[in-house]
Amino acid sequence: MSPAAPEIVVDGFPRRRPRWIEIATSADHKDVGRVMIVAALGFLFIALIELLLMRLQLVIPENTFLTPVTFNRLLSLYGATTIFFFAVPLALGLFYYLAPLQVGARGTALPRLGQIGLWLFVAGATVLYASFLYTPSEAGVNPLPPLSELAYLPNNGVNVWAAATGLATLGFVLIAINLIATLGRMRAPGMAWRRAPVFAWAARIGSWLLLVTGPVMLAAITMLLIDRNYDGIFFADGSGGAPLLWQHLSWIFYTGAYMLILIFALAAIAEIVPVFSRRPLAGRRAVIGSLVAIAVLGTLAWMQNMFTAPIGIGWMYFAMLMSLALIVPFGLIFFNLIATMIGGALQMRAPLLFAAGAISMISIGLASELTHSMVAVAWRLHNTTDATAATHFALLGGSVFGGFAALHYWFPKLTGRTMGETLARLSFWTIVLGALLTFVPLFFAGGEHGEVVDAYKFFGGAGVSAWNAIASIGAFVLATGIILTLVNAILSRTGGARAGHDHWGGDSLEWFTLSPPEPHNFDLLPDVRSDRPMRDIRAAIAHSSSRREQPAAESQPVA
Amino acid sequence: MGPNSPGTDQIDTLLSIGFVVATILVVAVNVALIYAIRRYRAERGAEPRELRGGERRTQWRVGGLLTVFAAAILVVSLIYTDKARETPTTGDAGLTSARSKPLQVLATGQQWLWRYDYPNTSFSYYKLVVPVDTTVELELVSTDVIHTWDVPALSGKRDAVPGKTNRVVFRADEEGVYRGQSATFSGQAYAAMRTAVEVVSPDAYKDFLAQQKADIQAAQDRVVDLIEAGETP
Repeated sequence: MSPAAPEIVVDGFPRRRPRWIEIATSADHKDVGRVMIVAALGFLFIALIELLLMRLQLVIPENTFLTPVTFNRLLSLYGATTIFFFAVPLALGLFYYLAPLQVGARGTALPRLGQIGLWLFVAGATVLYASFLYTPSEAGVNPLPPLSELAYLPNNGVNVWAAATGLATLGFVLIAINLIATLGRMRAPGMAWRRAPVFAWAARIGSWLLLVTGPVMLAAITMLLIDRNYDGIFFADGSGGAPLLWQHLSWIFYTGAYMLILIFALAAIAEIVPVFSRRPLAGRRAVIGSLVAIAVLGTLAWMQNMFTAPIGIGWMYFAMLMSLALIVPFGLIFFNLIATMIGGALQMRAPLLFAAGAISMISIGLASELTHSMVAVAWRLHNTTDATAATHFALLGGSVFGGFAALHYWFPKLTGRTMGETLARLSFWTIVLGALLTFVPLFFAGGEHGEVVDAYKFFGGAGVSAWNAIASIGAFVLATGIILTLVNAILSRTGGARAGHDHWGGDSLEWFTLSPPEPHNFDLLPDVRSDRPMRDIRAAIAHSSSRREQPAAESQPVA
Repeated sequence: MGPNSPGTDQIDTLLSIGFVVATILVVAVNVALIYAIRRYRAERGAEPRELRGGERRTQWRVGGLLTVFAAAILVVSLIYTDKARETPTTGDAGLTSARSKPLQVLATGQQWLWRYDYPNTSFSYYKLVVPVDTTVELELVSTDVIHTWDVPALSGKRDAVPGKTNRVVFRADEEGVYRGQSATFSGQAYAAMRTAVEVVSPDAYKDFLAQQKADIQAAQDRVVDLIEAGETP
């Protein structure tokens, strides 16, 4: 009598669903984060097209390539796309994917909340771009009432803008809540906050920032929708309304988002620089403290956008105090990043190259923002293209250079493959050239000749024709450079060289797991004993293998 | 662009200070960055050095230095901003009636034109005419959306917000025509919303007011005549 053979029953076993359904219905933070990152990069491409169309209109004086209404619609779309659908979701997507891995969490605390957040964001994006079928908003980058009220823009464009950005903002807030809960409660044993990576700290700070400023924007958007659709008077002048109320509320959010983007970028750079310098980050505690200070002081400086508005001079001085105080945290971070490089052994790979570019661009942007935060200077430069250039240097430095540095650095973790180095270098130098060509002329046009922002045309004889022509050419170079990196990412997704679990020799825990990680993140969690857990693990492996005289064979090391 | 009103002098100086400070900061960061990148390459045999001791002290020193720097900029900025806000006094060449109290003009922003109402009930569109060496106080209001009055040669810019009154004070020291453009996005024809300030002698200013008032009266009379004749104007 033979022993009973084990029988495997396959009948009724659910068939594996198509991959896109798996991703679309997944509440896993890595799937959600990946969709956000990919969507954000897609919207970067769309924003570039809008920028190029606007720059084409501004290539010669009094151009008639676009009608004023078309230009204003592109401008409004560009403003909404860059902030709500590119820069913030790119930062949040990378936070959401990586921060739980970095603190050794096996998942997130409230996964469905994150999933709802993603789909609110997708719904917002769909609403915004479906407006091509009827009417996009034409109320400008920040739709200031009364212009955005029904009396002045009676079509439904502003309603679309408000619905789209409102849905996206609500999504960001939900994801932020999940991140705060996850990072607070699900860290690996021994992962005290003093040992948590700078990027995980940034995820925590950025999430709190969104949790505080997001609802402010939602309140403003709700009031705008009530004004437009239900005869509200929140922002209407007379009858007790106040147009300035919108400015206060929206600038709190926009300034918070600006700080979030910089916090994201500087924290990503603070992860990259030590790895490629082969030495730990200088002044780790000072850098983390500075990130907290940026979030608080930066958001409190919201009125620095209102220096020309009829508000008391005391409020202006308060905003100036807050934004000048930002010199200290930003300065400390720049100091420590460069102090880490000086004395290190730098490997100039693509992530470090983009990180250095980000430091350079952000320094230009913030130094010029510094002059704008002096009240009397703002009376001259407010709403000139000088301000456009300052904001773009800071945010392009943060979200494009910083975002691309993060993309190149974590691409092996996200996909299991590396991005092409040659294309990365070509793209980097093209973007540097494009950014300087596009935005340095705007400094001169705005600072010396007072060219105003958001205008669909400028006049010959104002001394700005040459500057605008250069800027338009630069925009094409900039777009080419950015598209090169997007192409690089698409090609490397399937064709890049395979990467191991720890491609760069990083010190934080996301490099402990597989690339890309399994749904449960970690088979086994190490006991964290320092702020560089992967170095401890490598040292332990080296120690045990030298004792046993045999190399470690596993792809995933055991602590 | 020479200073044409006492307040713009302060703005120009502070702008130059800000430009120098910003340039120094950008150069400092980028020179240090490029130095680090060129000097400490692994492929040129650089070995990572241990971070030196006394790290916390270094952070406090750098932070303290930055605080002093920020405070210095704050003080300088406060001094110049406060000076730029001072109301200048009407000079000897100015309008004699404006010696004790600034000449008040109501500037109304509307899509996409500026209207100026003078003390003698006459008004003008697009172009503001003011006497030289005379303190002028513009009361900025708006009848529709937010606009920004900006003539850089004479004053800093200020917003005209519906339901609120904002104030621009300047004293033009030289006769001439100064141009400006509205600086807050206000809809379709925003790019074309420009203005000009013509600075003339006090006598010419009085003549202009009288002429403007007569012209407006004549135009109104003509409208009345047309209506009485049974035509629609």
